[in-house]
Amino acid sequence: MPQGKLYDSPQAALADVQDGSTILVAGFAGHGVAERLLVALLEGGSKDLTLVYRDGPYASLGSGPLPAIENLVSNGQVAKIISPIPFSPGSGGAIEESWQAGWLDIEIVPQGVLVERLRAGGAGIGGVFLPTAVGTRFGADKEKRSFLQGEAVLELPLKADYSLIKVAAADTLGNAIYDGSGRNWAPVMAMAARITVAEAGLIVEPGELDPEAIISPGIFVNRLVASD
Amino acid sequence: MPPRLDELTMARRAASELEPGQVVALGSGLPVSVAAVLPPDAAVQLLSDAGALGYGASSDGHSSTGPALASPDGRPVALQRGGAVVGMVDWAAMLRGGHVDVALVQPARVYASGDLLGWTTAATPGLFAPGRTVDLSAGGRKVIAMLPHTGSDGSPNIVADSSPVADGRGCVNVIITDIAVIRVESGALVLSEVAPGWSYDEVAAVTGAPLAQASNLKEIAPNLEALNAERAGKVFSDGPSAIADLHDGATVMIDGFGGPGGMAHYLLVSLRDQGTRGLTIISNTIGIARSVNFGTPPGKLAIDHSILVDNGQVAKAIATYPVSPSMSNPSSFELAYRRGDVELELVPQGTLAERLRAGGAGIYAFYTPTGAGTLIAEGKESRVIDGKEYILEQALTADFCLIRGHKADTMGNVVYKGTSRNFNAVMAPSARITIVEVDEVVEPGELDPELIVTPGMYVDRLVVRPEGFSPYE
Repeated sequence: MPQGKLYDSPQAALADVQDGSTILVAGFAGHGVAERLLVALLEGGSKDLTLVYRDGPYASLGSGPLPAIENLVSNGQVAKIISPIPFSPGSGGAIEESWQAGWLDIEIVPQGVLVERLRAGGAGIGGVFLPTAVGTRFGADKEKRSFLQGEAVLELPLKADYSLIKVAAADTLGNAIYDGSGRNWAPVMAMAARITVAEAGLIVEPGELDPEAIISPGIFVNRLVASD
Repeated sequence: MPPRLDELTMARRAASELEPGQVVALGSGLPVSVAAVLPPDAAVQLLSDAGALGYGASSDGHSSTGPALASPDGRPVALQRGGAVVGMVDWAAMLRGGHVDVALVQPARVYASGDLLGWTTAATPGLFAPGRTVDLSAGGRKVIAMLPHTGSDGSPNIVADSSPVADGRGCVNVIITDIAVIRVESGALVLSEVAPGWSYDEVAAVTGAPLAQASNLKEIAPNLEALNAERAGKVFSDGPSAIADLHDGATVMIDGFGGPGGMAHYLLVSLRDQGTRGLTIISNTIGIARSVNFGTPPGKLAIDHSILVDNGQVAKAIATYPVSPSMSNPSSFELAYRRGDVELELVPQGTLAERLRAGGAGIYAFYTPTGAGTLIAEGKESRVIDGKEYILEQALTADFCLIRGHKADTMGNVVYKGTSRNFNAVMAPSARITIVEVDEVVEPGELDPELIVTPGMYVDRLVVRPEGFSPYE
């Protein structure tokens, strides 16, 4: 049984993941990846998952989310990927093969648009008019409108069932801080999911983190597991 | 054919386009090398979407004391003094909000129109993975494309007309290749520099678009000396000099919350003394601390927006709390409103914060559920999205923003203390000129880069609140 937000194991923290869930996976270029949680997701075997992440051609530089996501795809657990760059094109990994075979759906979203859609999802915004995709292939099918600042297209919020993030340290209330590039997508993904599970390098008592330094307040972090 | 430039020479030529004080966002591929060729104390700040603002090359991974940070291609980098750690939301907002002076990208193809295409491969013809390219192309105030002049089969990467599909539309200003520097000038390409040994004719022969020749065609000779310049100073000697150009009729963001917490009291007094008139003030309260006691010492009056209202300087407020909660003790603004001296646009507090964020983050408008079905919704578009009713709210921007920080370094990086963060942090990116009143200015590197809330790119001027200055009078 969890004590408050603290779970004994990554498996316990993800035990209720249903088939068909949408899951946000933080991490970028080998930084801030919740590796134990991703292993637990693989072991849990839930299927028809939609995964949202950004990685790209960094697998050789460190352990980004990509290897874990390739494993999930190979294991037949993933139905759809939403990403600015889901894999290194032409690299021939499991994601590319599954997409070419036609049983993996991929939605490509420019990363600044994706992050704003996640923020909108987390902040209760119904949609944002952004200039980013105007005139590009990513704005072609979207509602377009003119404002004083110029043209913009309507981008809709993105919400998820779970968010799997890595934090440098958290207190038992879920207040979290990050380390360097480990911050990346985690704070916004923590806002956008119904249940955010954080793998923490260090878990401390409330009051031990400088309140001015907290990046993700505990209201956005529902479950905690230790990273080792 | 004469030799082509190597990657580092191209990077040095790209870096020669930069000017002191600029914020420069790098894409992956060739642009990443720009970090490696900059002088160690170059007066520009590089922005990586891996969370580093103000970084330089690092040969041995991250520095022993600093946070672990990556370049856009995932290699370890170290922060320069005055750098800050940012998240992905910040990166996107900095670009979209127009805060990034130069974006460097490596597209697969550039068109004479300035359009660009990111890369794809023969193996993935139906799948375009832009990563950051679309954001960099749309967001950089100046976009520099770095790419090999020709593909591996010798075909030109610079082609005529515009692209039927694009990852960036009309965005490229300068093209730097391994044989040439080409400027995109109103939809036409102008060759301004060639690699040593190359002629106009030789470059034109491998360019897939009409190419004009600059009257003073030069040989490429990177020069980075300008980047050793001192950064322009942001610290002003006093409040009056910091706001001297705040003009009649300006829109000014000023905030703080409730009473003494987090208001730029010294700048407010400076603005009253300057007497600037016809101001539109954007704020949470438009001065209630003076009429409601939030802990004002006996016999004193709190300094707040009321001092501008009383002095006849305010024409309009866009605010959340325009009236005093006490009927018997109305605020100055309330009295002025009853007299018909001022206009008011009433905004719910959370909507105000979101409209301010939108202004700084390059979001033109957004749908919020707050206020739907209430008086707030009058005159606004209402829309049902996923079964829920929303109203459309517009971004807010301003000419000036007067905010209250705790400490800043000379590059303008700001940390707050307690309540003073509130609206100040969200306002800072949203004005053309942001002026921060702080208790102390320190040298770059003295603030913990993980704790910086408002990076210096959002801050134009700094003023130290005079010692012994009281928020009461």
